Amino acid sequence: MKYWLLLLCLLLPIVSFCKGETMSPSIQEIKKRHENRLLTLPSVVSVGIGRDKDGNPAIIVGLDGSHPEIEAQLPGSLENYPVLVEVVGPIKAQ
Amino acid sequence: MEQDLTAARNLLRKTRDEMLTRANVVAVGAGYKFTGGEKTSTLSIVCSVTKKIPASELSSRDMVPETLDNIPTDVFESGRLRALQSPTERFRPAPGGVSIGHHEITAGTLGCLVKKNGEMVILSNNHVLANSNDAQVGDPILQPGPYDGGRFPNDHIADLTQFVPITFTESPSDCPTARTVADLLNTISNILGSDARLQVIREQVTDNLVDAAIARPIRVEDVSNEILEIGTIGGTTQGELGMAVKKSGRTTGFTTGEILQVDVSANVQYGQNQIARFTDQLMAGPMSQGGDSGSAVLDENNQLVGLLFAGSDQSTIINRIENVFSTLGVTV
Repeated sequence: MKYWLLLLCLLLPIVSFCKGETMSPSIQEIKKRHENRLLTLPSVVSVGIGRDKDGNPAIIVGLDGSHPEIEAQLPGSLENYPVLVEVVGPIKAQ
Repeated sequence: MEQDLTAARNLLRKTRDEMLTRANVVAVGAGYKFTGGEKTSTLSIVCSVTKKIPASELSSRDMVPETLDNIPTDVFESGRLRALQSPTERFRPAPGGVSIGHHEITAGTLGCLVKKNGEMVILSNNHVLANSNDAQVGDPILQPGPYDGGRFPNDHIADLTQFVPITFTESPSDCPTARTVADLLNTISNILGSDARLQVIREQVTDNLVDAAIARPIRVEDVSNEILEIGTIGGTTQGELGMAVKKSGRTTGFTTGEILQVDVSANVQYGQNQIARFTDQLMAGPMSQGGDSGSAVLDENNQLVGLLFAGSDQSTIINRIENVFSTLGVTV
């Protein structure tokens, strides 16, 4: 038991150190983490990665029409990446 | 200058009929001579040809002389001249960009030719060639599609050989318990005076990567390796944010756009009540309409980037070509 505790004490700082070293998650990872939830919201038809007007990467949420009540539910950013809302219209197989 | 033009015109009138009998010459006219790709200020008699052929391979009768009555000539490779045809018409050979469809659909677009096990096959969408999963391998494919007048057997161009099934997310549930519960709650809601109703659906979100299918032409001579208004494909490349793209389709013809989003996940409507979730898509601005589905999407260097399959008033949704090729096991 004592041995295990000792090992744990040794491992913990290493693990936390390594964690601090890892890069912050990419915009792709952040998008993937949130897209299923976003795509089940009514009138959300797409979630993708584009650029904001300054050319910075942004998560872009597409709506099938103008829905201020849905827009109000959407976050302004997700883990430091801006979220932009665009009305793209209903997406149909053509 | 005026004099030069008058002289060239007079000469043209005299020689055009004879010039047009020479091999490969499809048009004659008066125009500035090009030397080394640069336009010069010299007026010349321009002979347009289907193909430039080395003088050594031409008989002296077919050769365009350097000058005619002291007026220089120029040879311009215009290719074959054709009356412009609408993409909804019947084409033999059929290039990419024209109307095509499974015999039970309306019409979509023939994307391009690809190779499957060394054989040339037609690439388009599942919902164009395989009626959104509701088809059998071997079903007849018509060019033009049925909506554009294509009929079996006269317009039968190919047979369906393979399609990637589309998984739809929502379908009315067949679970009796769930329906009983919903009915009960709806009754209560009704008693309470609410208009809200519960509907039981089976939700199974499965991601699709492509809406793609291939069909084998009955005769190789009936299809062409070119894409209408675009030409031949120069390989494939990955679609990237900001890339300029183009397509040639049955409804809107040749259009251009820009890739505005990548890594797109989207809910796409099929018909009235079916929805399919797609991931890893490219989104361009509006550059298509119903009937353009199946169009090949290329970059500025004619490299294949994707397969167009859906869109809205403000967007065009495109399968990545690498996903299309790997799921179907095809190459350019």
